[in-house]
Formats: sequence, C-alpha cells, structure tokens
Amino acid sequence: MIDPRIYETFREIGEDLYAADMISSHGGNLSIRLGDRVIIKRRGAMLGRLKPHDLIETRLDKNDSGVVLASTELLVHRAIYLNTPALAVCHCHPRTAVAFSLSRDEIVPIDNEASYLLKKIPVVTEEFASGTPQMANKVAEAVKNYKIIMLRGHGSFATGQTLDEAFMWSTILEEACQIILAAKTINEPFKEYRAMSEAYSKF
Amino acid sequence: MVRPYGRWIMPNLRKVAGTKEVAITGASVGAVVTELVKRYPALAANLLLDGQIRPHVIITVNGHSTDDVDAPVTEFDVVSIFPPLAGG
Amino acid sequence: MNGWNGKILEIDLATLTHKSYPLDMEMAKQFIGGRGLGARLLWDLVGPEVEPLSPENVLIFTNGPLTGTGYQTSNRFSVTTKSPLTGTVLDANSGGYWGMQFKKTGYDVLIVRGKAQKPVWIEVKNGEVAFHDASALWGMRVFAVTEKLGQDNNKRNVLCIGPAGENLSRIAAIMNDRERAAARGGPGAVMGSKNLKAIVVEGSTRPEVMDKERYKFLMYETKKLLAASPLTSQALPEFGTVVLMNIMNNIGALATRNHQQTQFEGAEAISGEELTEKYLVKNQACWACPIGCTRISKTEKVEGEGPEFESTWAFGAQCGIDDLPAIIEVNALCNDLGLDTISAGSTIACAMELSEKGYLDSDLRFGRADQLALAVEAMAYRRDIGAELADGSLRLATKYGHPELSMTSKGLEFPAYDPRGLQGQGLLYATSNRGGCHMRGNMIGLEVLGLPKLIDRFQVQGKSSFVILNQNSNAAIDSLVLCKFTNMGVADEYFARVLSAVTGVEYATGDMIKTGERVWNLERLYNNREGFTAQNDTLPPRLLTEAPTDGPSKGWVSKLEPMLKEYYRTRGWDENGVPTPKKLAELGLAELAEASYR
Ligand code: SF4
Repeated sequence: MIDPRIYETFREIGEDLYAADMISSHGGNLSIRLGDRVIIKRRGAMLGRLKPHDLIETRLDKNDSGVVLASTELLVHRAIYLNTPALAVCHCHPRTAVAFSLSRDEIVPIDNEASYLLKKIPVVTEEFASGTPQMANKVAEAVKNYKIIMLRGHGSFATGQTLDEAFMWSTILEEACQIILAAKTINEPFKEYRAMSEAYSKF
Repeated sequence: MVRPYGRWIMPNLRKVAGTKEVAITGASVGAVVTELVKRYPALAANLLLDGQIRPHVIITVNGHSTDDVDAPVTEFDVVSIFPPLAGG
Repeated sequence: MNGWNGKILEIDLATLTHKSYPLDMEMAKQFIGGRGLGARLLWDLVGPEVEPLSPENVLIFTNGPLTGTGYQTSNRFSVTTKSPLTGTVLDANSGGYWGMQFKKTGYDVLIVRGKAQKPVWIEVKNGEVAFHDASALWGMRVFAVTEKLGQDNNKRNVLCIGPAGENLSRIAAIMNDRERAAARGGPGAVMGSKNLKAIVVEGSTRPEVMDKERYKFLMYETKKLLAASPLTSQALPEFGTVVLMNIMNNIGALATRNHQQTQFEGAEAISGEELTEKYLVKNQACWACPIGCTRISKTEKVEGEGPEFESTWAFGAQCGIDDLPAIIEVNALCNDLGLDTISAGSTIACAMELSEKGYLDSDLRFGRADQLALAVEAMAYRRDIGAELADGSLRLATKYGHPELSMTSKGLEFPAYDPRGLQGQGLLYATSNRGGCHMRGNMIGLEVLGLPKLIDRFQVQGKSSFVILNQNSNAAIDSLVLCKFTNMGVADEYFARVLSAVTGVEYATGDMIKTGERVWNLERLYNNREGFTAQNDTLPPRLLTEAPTDGPSKGWVSKLEPMLKEYYRTRGWDENGVPTPKKLAELGLAELAEASYR
C-alpha cells in the first residue's frame, strides 16, 4: 500500500509538470527510492492526471510482480538509484532546454538563480531509446556528478533527496534556457555581473 | 493563538509583538501569518520575502511542522513561528 | 597528487621512539583521510583481542587532503581509536586550529602506540619530534596546560587531556586549542592510559593545491553560498546552536529528565534566546571559517566557549535544570577537566533517576542545579559518587541492576533529540557505529528544519534511505575533514569538486558519497569483528515501549523494528546486520570480507 502522502506529492508534481509545458500527455516520469524499493509511474499512465493506482512499487535490485506494470523507463531510474545517492528522480521534456541540447554540449545559464545553483548542465548523447541499458548507464553516470543533466534531443534527468527537489532543478533549468533564448532575441551586448563566471563551464 | 519565538534579525519578533502570545483569528496558517504581519507591520521584513513566507522560517501547528500555508487552523490551535534555525 | 603530505608519523611511547614512513596512496584515495583513513588503519592495527585501555590500543590522529588549504572550515582533525566506553570503532573530530597546524608539520597521520613509563608530552615541530617529561603537568587542568605549553592560535597549538583523561574516565575528551573537544566515546581515557598528557604541533609546510584556478573558483562560490544562506550567515552566528532548544521543545522531541518526558517546562529559561540576551559576550570562529558559530558566554564566575545546544540540554532539560548560569559554569568546568558534556550530563541524569527510584543511594535529584559542578568534579577525579559516574551511564545503571535506565545505544549517551518524536533519528541512534550519536548523520534537517525539504517525522516507511544517505554523506565529510555546518549552506557536490581540485584525483559527487558508504561499511565490519551484531542496533526499552503521555509526540514510541529491517536490506546487509560479500565487493572491501566472517 503506497502511503497517501507519497501519492499526493507525485500527483501535485505531475500536474505541475504538465501545466508548465514540461511534458506531453504521456511523457516524462517521476520516481522515488524507498529503502530497497522504487515507486514509479505505471506504464502508460498520464503524469498530469495521476490516480492512486497509477503508482507502482517494485524492487530496486531485481524484478518482482510490480515490474510488468512499471514504466519502461524503470531501467534508467534503477540505474540512477544503484549508482548514485539520489532518492528521487524527475525526468521531463523541458522544451527550450531540449532545443538547446541539439546544438550544445553543455548549457551554461546566464541568470542569477541557475548560475548559483546549477553552474552548468552537461548534455549527453545516446541514440538508443529509453528503456535500453545503454541509455540507462549513460544517464546514471552523468548524474553522479550533476544534479541535472540533458539527454540530447530527449529531455532532462534531475535527482534529489525528495521529488520536490528534483522538480525544482528541472524548472530552474527550463527557466534558465528561456532566459538565454530571450537574451538572444534581444541580442544586445551581455554585461557580465558574475565574478569568475568563465569557470562555470569547468564546474 | 500565535507564538513567535526567537531573537530575530532586527527587529526582534517578540519585542515587536511585545508579548509571547498573540490571539489571532484566521482559517489557515497563511491567513494567520498575513494577519500577524498586518497587525505588526515591522514583522514583514522578517517573515516575508516577495510576499511569501521566507525560506527557512519554521512554522508549527500544535508542535507539528508544516510547510503548507493552506493548512487549516482553528481557534484551539497554537501556531508557533521560528526564525531560521541551524545546528545539531 | 597533492593535498596529502603522503607521510605517516608513528610514535612508540614504550620506547620513546618514532619513525616516519609513506602513506599508502591507494589507501588514501579510497578512504580520503580523517575518519575514513583512521578506520582503515585501525582495522589493521587493533584487533578484537585488544583492551581499549591497554598499551596495545592506538590513537590515530588524521587530517585530510583539504586540511590546512584554507578552504572554508578546513581546520579539523580526527582521532580514531577503539572506544573504552563502547568497545566499538571510535572516531571523534574537532575544529579550532590544531588540525591545520598538524597538517603543516608535514604529516597526514600520527599514530601513537604503547604506554610511556611516566607522564610525557610530545612536541612535533615540522619533521622533528621531541619527548618531554610531563610529571609537572600531570594533574593540571586543560586551560592551564594549554597556556603553559605555549598555545598560539596560528603558530603553535596544544592538544591535551585533563584530569578526567588521566583518571581514565571512559567519558573523557581530548581537548585542543583550549576549549575544542574531540569529545565522544572516551578518547581522553585512551590518551591517559598511555601516560600522554599533550601533543603540541608547530609547522610551516603549507599544503599544495593541484588545480589552483579551479580551487580559487570553488572557494569563491562557497563563500557566496555561505553568505547567501540564512542558516550559515545568520542563524548559526547570531543564535548559535542553542536556538534549537525552543523548537525541539515545541515539537515534543526534547528529551527531559532522562527521557521520562519529551517536553521541558523550563526550556525557555535555557534557550538560545535567553543565552544570547543575557550571557553572550561575542562570537568566535575556527581557522578559515566565515561562519563563526562559536559563542563566548560569561557569568559572574566564568567566561568561556559555548555552551552548545547539546551541552545546554544535557545539563539542562535532561537533568530537569533550568538554571542557565549553572549550566554555563558546568560546561566550562567540563572543558577544563576534559569531559564529554553530553555523556557527563546524561550520566548525572541517569544517576538522578536511579536515586529518585531508590536504586542508588545518593542525594542527586532532578532539578538540583547546585549538584552539577560537584558531580562533575567528582567524576573527573573519581571521588565519592564520582567514581560511580566516571564510566558513563550504562556501567552505572548496570551496576545498580537497572541497565534499562541508561539512555544509550551501544553504551554511548544520546544527544537531545528524543527519537519517539523523530523516527528517523531513532534509526540513526540505533545504527550509529560509535553508538547513540547525532554526528554520524542527523535527521533534524529533514524531520524538523525542512532542509532541503520537510519529511514527516513520524513516517516510518522509506526512512532508511534518508538515514543511509545522511550517514554516508557525513562519513565522507568527516573524511575530508570539514565542519558539518558548512553543509547547511553548501551542497556535497562542492566538496567533491574541491577535493578533486586539491588532489588532482577526480571524485564525482557520487564517488565521494560512495567513499562515505565504504567508510561506513568498514566501520561496521570492525564492529562485527568485535562481536557486535544486529542485537546491538537497538534503543533503550523506554524509547521502544513507553509513549509520552502528552505533547505533540504523545502516543508515539520508536518503531525501530520495521525501520531496521528496511535499513539492513537497503544497506545490502544480511539479517544479522553484516555486510554481504556482494556489497563488500562493490565497495572494494572484498579482501576484508573473509575477516568479517571469521
Ligand atoms: S561553523 Fe563553527 S564549529 Fe564549524 S568551523 Fe566554523 S566556527 Fe568552527
């Protein structure tokens, strides 16, 4: 039985992700680690409209009865939990960030909040689709060192101790990308206000 | 009932309120804080940031921490407000 | 590779000789330094046959690759030994200046073995080691010895024991820079058992940093983060740690009168607000620390560091005492005598309950502030009732037939947080490798303060993951060695990066936390080898069966059993709390696996 408080958090964040245009109707995924177990969205469920039965609990290290119902992305979430200290994962498709991931190997924010909190977001490439071990390993390796990363042309993976935290990194990333885009549109000379910002890309 | 605790960054919350307890009516935690600030405007700088409750300000209702401003309260509840706390 | 000096200094007190040899750099990379490296060395040096207070036990002083570099709070050292209080692996760390000065002598590790025939003190000046007769210092208190041996904050630093350590009190601390303490678990008694009064360090080798540009950048960012966080820029310096008193009381998690209650009616009188208002003189900081959480307070009789929240609680709420000046004075007295304040206060509280219930014949009673200083003095000199108290509450309560009244796990007294109102904290206490302690991981951030996000303090399911993450992260920070308060404003990823910048060895954040996990598992193996099993991962019956009858934690007991089961599984340990070979292989501890099953 999944604690109603846990369901509430999933539901709220799922709704917010959809409302913020950060996922399509069936896209994106959320999960948390509870001890040696994972709670993740059911295969085919809509994150924006989660019902209590849309959450599946399954073992972290091997398959059990829950696994057939779980989202195909379980593999990558498991890989993250097994290889990093993460206790929550938020995967979504923030549009501006995805667009930038097509041309950049890393995204370096220019706004204050994201500069502060993220410094830079690496972009990794993996053409194998979600649900493959190749992709799972690549993503898990990248989030070992960054709170949030972009998978080129696909979306972001953010980790945290709680879902709120992982969700927060995701929205900060998208906001940062929208600001970069807006600044490009304005197209006036950039006045640097951050000391040592040239080092961000080495973070 | 609201109990402000702590020696806040100037001005001192308790000193401003002049008492350890203030009786306030409000249906939710948020409403109570809003009313408190209305009554003691000097508290706004301590409690609020961009109109929202400041990060790290801790609020308990009858000794149970909450981060939900919509949490309902009744006249029998005690809301306590703490400045940012650290340590351990 | 930079950061490490790459050298170990080993001293044998029996022969008053010393030697120096290279630090195994593979080992250093795997365990970093501080607590981790200490545990690894102890594993080889001190087996189950060694009595903690015998000459065969060792004291291992370690610093870390960041120590002395000037990175924020890179001032600490750590001391590792087998605890005379708990019999477990013990690591205690301490701030101030001594740690950075020790690093500047050119060594990463100082191992002290054997026992001197008569009292000595050691002087390490850069590479030079000198042994001095300490007969005249024996019996002297901490402040006097520190001054006598020439304490000079940035140049020459003194670490010593007081009368409590000399008299082998199992709750004696090692003191440095006058009032800093490596307090818990009785390291002072081990030093006393070796007839070692003090270690003075002086050095001039400044540690080299590999990637200076990156290091400078990370220092700058850390400075910004510490300044921006209201916790590290305001809460800690302005209010100190004692500010936790009111909130713990408010939520019904302030252990009171030997954990008989969870709220103390006198909490306000001993709160941080009261302390700041009436007794605070100024703030102080350890070396290279912009936070400066240390507070100097003053009463009519004394002026000194502290008291910290835990000390104020131990002599306050835990003893049912609301007399703040008396608490400030007894705190200073403990520092001067070299006693762990938490264990001292809680042991007195235990004696008070034993006496009130008629099991112990003494006039100690809850609420009697006038008895504090007397009891503490007596403890340090093993006089009168003090002889009964000097070895901690578990030995005391066991002797009088009521071990259940000792508020300890594995024999180490708990800090202030009552685990009935904080389920995760209870699991922490029960599983901590050095016994009931809040510095091996602290759930207060998550369960009370909302750092980074509030989680339900009564929730049981899933708590183990938070506890484990906390324990692993703390073990990593203790191995660097940095002050845990920086972690309130700066995330782990900065520590991993600065570690990489200083050493030139790349540690991803996840790798650093993994190192913490490795350290935790090694410590666990050590305890297993000492005979500790799942049965020792427990709490006193009071916390498991007696629910508070009022306050916000009313009706709650610690639900340890289900949390513990989940904890073992999540850790990758078997039902007996022993790391599985698979887990050990994963952590690169496979070669030790065999030993754990011996
Ligand atoms: S935060 Fe406090 S204990 Fe930590 S290093 Fe700074 S002054 Fe020392």
